[in-house]
Amino acid sequence: MQDLIKYTDNINKLLARFGVKFGIYKNNVFHEQLFPFDAIPRVITAKEFDEMEKGLVQRVTALNMFLYDIYHEQKIIKDKIIPEEFVFSSKGYLPECAGVTPPGKVYSHISGIDLVQAQDKKWYILEDNLRIPSGASYPLIARKLCRIASPRTYACNAIVDNRNYGTMLSNVMNNVNTGGINVILTPGRYNAAFFEHAYLAEMTHSVLAMPSDLYVENCQVYYRAMDKPQRVGAIYRRISDEYLDPLTFLPESLIGVPNLMAAYRAGNVAILNTPGNGVADDKGIYYFVPAMIKYYLGEDSITHNAPTYLMYYQKDRDYALANFDKLVFKDVSEAGGYGVFFGRDLDSKKKADFIDLMKAEPRRFIAQEIIDFIDLPIMDNGQEVLRKADLRAFVLSGNETKVWPSGLTRFSRNPDSFVVNSSQGGGFKDTWVLSR
Amino acid sequence: MGIISLEKSNHLYWLGRYSERAFTTIRTFMDAYDTMLDQDPNAYKHICEKLHIPDVYGSKEVFIINYLFDETDPNSVYSNLSRACDNASVMRDMISSTALGYIQLALDVMEDAKRETFCLLHLQQVLDDLYAFWGSIDDYVESSACRNIMKTGRYIERLDLYIRLDYDRKAMELAYERMAYRLQRSSAAYNEQDFKIVSDAINNNKGGNLCSILPNLNNIFKD
Repeated sequence: MQDLIKYTDNINKLLARFGVKFGIYKNNVFHEQLFPFDAIPRVITAKEFDEMEKGLVQRVTALNMFLYDIYHEQKIIKDKIIPEEFVFSSKGYLPECAGVTPPGKVYSHISGIDLVQAQDKKWYILEDNLRIPSGASYPLIARKLCRIASPRTYACNAIVDNRNYGTMLSNVMNNVNTGGINVILTPGRYNAAFFEHAYLAEMTHSVLAMPSDLYVENCQVYYRAMDKPQRVGAIYRRISDEYLDPLTFLPESLIGVPNLMAAYRAGNVAILNTPGNGVADDKGIYYFVPAMIKYYLGEDSITHNAPTYLMYYQKDRDYALANFDKLVFKDVSEAGGYGVFFGRDLDSKKKADFIDLMKAEPRRFIAQEIIDFIDLPIMDNGQEVLRKADLRAFVLSGNETKVWPSGLTRFSRNPDSFVVNSSQGGGFKDTWVLSR
Repeated sequence: MGIISLEKSNHLYWLGRYSERAFTTIRTFMDAYDTMLDQDPNAYKHICEKLHIPDVYGSKEVFIINYLFDETDPNSVYSNLSRACDNASVMRDMISSTALGYIQLALDVMEDAKRETFCLLHLQQVLDDLYAFWGSIDDYVESSACRNIMKTGRYIERLDLYIRLDYDRKAMELAYERMAYRLQRSSAAYNEQDFKIVSDAINNNKGGNLCSILPNLNNIFKD
């Protein structure tokens, strides 16, 4: 591994050369920055991955069943497993999707599940991302470059090859394709994850489409090709639900495709991930996932949720108030590391204000026990130091559900921070899954 | 993937144009720089005049730095390379990460040159990267329509610059032939009338100034 680490700068230069960047808006101005790569990988043994995979497949299977149920019979509500108001008050619930069955009944084709490993080596799920989870492209291209920088490392360690992500993703798209080309729909060049959109289009041999490239006619989606229009069978969209179709959602959306939802409802195009998935990756619904697994699959959850308290429930709220300084609070409507704060960090004024807000809007907040997740080594100015890191595992659901044998390990570069998001200055590592 | 939308054809065309503009203006700059060393310190003024860009520089020292590196100057080499890079970024799925990487490398060299003490070797490296870019386009871009549109842009730009810079007739004819060859194979819509005017002017050129056909040349490709 030392051989690989010594090439860290070279690998970062190669990442820059291939435009591996993410965008960020500061004061409404778009900046692109490099995503710092640390060559010391996170290593997951075959046994550990096997267990993780079983748990993640079980979890995503149940979440897909939940989505089908919620947009159809709503049995889980009728059977009082999840309170009705909890589902329908979720910002991610889209009444426009009720009764629509997506091709193959798959809702979450690409699921990004965020995990952390506690000091006792037990993995905890921090959140499920079932809308448009990003990040797979970074370890994918990093692995390719690391193998160039230090081939010996890959000859001497039994590392499962992760460079099949493009094929896996392409298979997932083909599985639901209704007849036509596969496209990756990007909002455009100035989206934070534009590199990923373009790179995945290259890796899956799909067409990278801007919103203006697509149109709907007679309930069919077409790509405006130069010679003749091409029918579109599957759209891996990287645009949020509310902007997808101005005739169904936000009328002011300039990045949507008018009538796309009509084509989708008619079964003429597959949209990956399916609109309306936000109801299942709501930080509040997260609390119910183990119950969901039991309900739909009759199994105990293999994955572990971080101990979570819903401010919606009086009992949980009382606990959170009594243990305020020990907990981390999350605003369910926020993402990307925003809306997360530690009780212990609030002064008395802010604490009192927050408690008032929490009582006024209990559905909006959850509290979680702080998991002391393990630090991973990173190189910092030639010194090995320890930093907090999480893992985003990618679960792909096509004709079967599989976990990509890799993942995005993000780490905090700040020694005092638990926040690993790239938008807040974090870096990333490759994730090695060993074949032994 | 070989399916090209109108918007993509536009990006491909301008990728060809901006990368060629960076390439040919660097070569022109290098010649002028050499002249300014010990022969004519005002050689840069002739370039501004020929390229029809305002002489906002005032001295050869300012020209050397700003014409190359000033990102706020739309005529600078840096600006042209940045635009090439912007167009390449949105075409990654068609041109490949490998080809895109060469444009990015060229831009990175310009960044390095700006920070370090500039020397012509930096520019030589940029030219090498641009040569590699075009080589990788031939190897990595599957779609011939895609390659032809890019090369149409490349040779329209080359012919435009050669006309402005008074290149010899032979060089212009060669650039024209390449442009015409690519255009007719690109499947792109083009303005036949403008193309004919340019063709006639090049084929009947007796060595006069051809700047009058520049509007027609720049109107051939329907972008």
